[in-house]
Amino acid sequence: MADSQRKRVLCKYFVHGACFKGEYCEFSHDWKDQSNNACTFYQKGLCSFGSRCRYDHVKVSCGQAHVPLPLSNARPCIGTGSIQAIHPSNVLLNGECQPSTSSLAEFSVSSKHIFPFSKPAWAQFPDLSVNEDYPLGHDPAAYSLADQPICSFAAAGSCSHGERCPHIHGDQCSICKKHCLHPYRPDEREEHIQLCQKNNQHLEALRFSQDIECSVCLDRVLSKPTPAERKFGILSECDHPFCISCIRNWRSNCPSIGMDVNSTLRACPMCRKLSYFVIPSVIWYSTSEEKQEIVNNYKAKLKTIDCKYFDLGNGTCPFGSSCFYKHAYRDGRLEEVVLRHLDAEDGSIVIAKNIRLSDFLNNLHL
Amino acid sequence: MLDTTRVQKELVECNRDTAISGVSIDLHDGANLTHLCGSISGPLGTPYEGGTFIIDIQLPSDYPFEPPKMQFITRVWHPNISSQNGAICLDILKDQWSPALTLKTALLSLQALLSAPAPDDPQDAVVAQQYLRDYQKFVGTARHWTDTFAKIATVGIDEKVSKLVEMGFPEELARSVLEAVKGDENAALEKLCSG
Repeated sequence: MADSQRKRVLCKYFVHGACFKGEYCEFSHDWKDQSNNACTFYQKGLCSFGSRCRYDHVKVSCGQAHVPLPLSNARPCIGTGSIQAIHPSNVLLNGECQPSTSSLAEFSVSSKHIFPFSKPAWAQFPDLSVNEDYPLGHDPAAYSLADQPICSFAAAGSCSHGERCPHIHGDQCSICKKHCLHPYRPDEREEHIQLCQKNNQHLEALRFSQDIECSVCLDRVLSKPTPAERKFGILSECDHPFCISCIRNWRSNCPSIGMDVNSTLRACPMCRKLSYFVIPSVIWYSTSEEKQEIVNNYKAKLKTIDCKYFDLGNGTCPFGSSCFYKHAYRDGRLEEVVLRHLDAEDGSIVIAKNIRLSDFLNNLHL
Repeated sequence: MLDTTRVQKELVECNRDTAISGVSIDLHDGANLTHLCGSISGPLGTPYEGGTFIIDIQLPSDYPFEPPKMQFITRVWHPNISSQNGAICLDILKDQWSPALTLKTALLSLQALLSAPAPDDPQDAVVAQQYLRDYQKFVGTARHWTDTFAKIATVGIDEKVSKLVEMGFPEELARSVLEAVKGDENAALEKLCSG
């Protein structure tokens, strides 16, 4: 089968990391397979790059070409006669490609009827070999439907061909209202629906967040003038909304009169509950699970950034093992925290952070 | 820089329901938003009932991250308010300030302070001692001060001028002195007698 032969040719898009078809790609995604490096322009007789062309300038006969030259199908095998069924629309226009039998003529005339799910030009070759194996009139929908792509126009919004479109029209997604669900690829459908649901939740949360006011500047947080200001500052211990700049201003405030940093400034301005850190977020949450997700994402992001106090092992971080940032040495090794346990006189165990000489001198009663 | 948008919002919000809350804020002089003038009505059932108390409000440039500076202009007899200069002893105007508080909530707190004095943490030791030792005398003095200083606004300035004219002072002089002491009849009389 042509399909299995095709599978042995390395996908050009995959090589560049840009193949969107994944496991449905007709070409091989296995690095061990050979890529087809023949220049398609050279095949047609003229390559303007000449000797500087990055592709191989070798003659490939059309009979072999239909397998290793999948992209040369722009003008497939004119005049060789080894392949006769071409894209249905090309057949009658192409004088050199005379239908040799009456059955083929019938095929070309009624091809639209026979192939309601006709493939694009590049995907025609398998159908040709199939055509030899199966009698005409065999319903092609019975095989490889999952391999056929859906109409991208319909998926994007509207297809001008409507009912007469030769491609499969995808089912409508109930969330995004686009005809982009492939009827024969359940995995892809599932994936799309999940993505759509996630996007929808995000939009919903964003809509809900629009109306939330900061209690300090009395403005709606997401209506602030600059994008940098349009962020919430979430307090770890309570659920009162502030904009990130207001809450950070308050917490880093150096008041002229004796406000206590640890009891007043670290407290929520509304409920005075102490919070030890502020989480920036572009959306507000409605459930504690959502809040936890925002906090976890934030912490995970900080964990990938090198701590400037730890400075790749050259400095010391006052936050030690509870620092949110990454403590890694220059060679990528993570810092290991070894706690020193001191046995106190009364039998209890104390974890020593910094050991000072004065700690021992105090016990000497000099 | 003072957050003027917030102050403007606060003024609108505060003056929306002055009849119910009993507190209002006005601009002190023209377009300057850093100097405001608040007024609260004396709470019912207290010696301050019926009086209108004027409070001078200065907004620091870091407002709302720093508390507003408030001071009574109207003289008031209260353990937590200085009888000499009107300085206020209230935690939320000092170390317990929070940026979620507004001028309106601060004025309402002052109104609450009038109805619930805290003599254990006094601003004016003389008043606090009187409050603790002779409560009836304290109530009498406070009511007298309210009647004398906090109800002047209800009497028109012309009436006061004519009173002083009846006492034998020239009308022009009486009017200018009255205006100088912001309508305080007793202070004007003192000034006229000494001058």
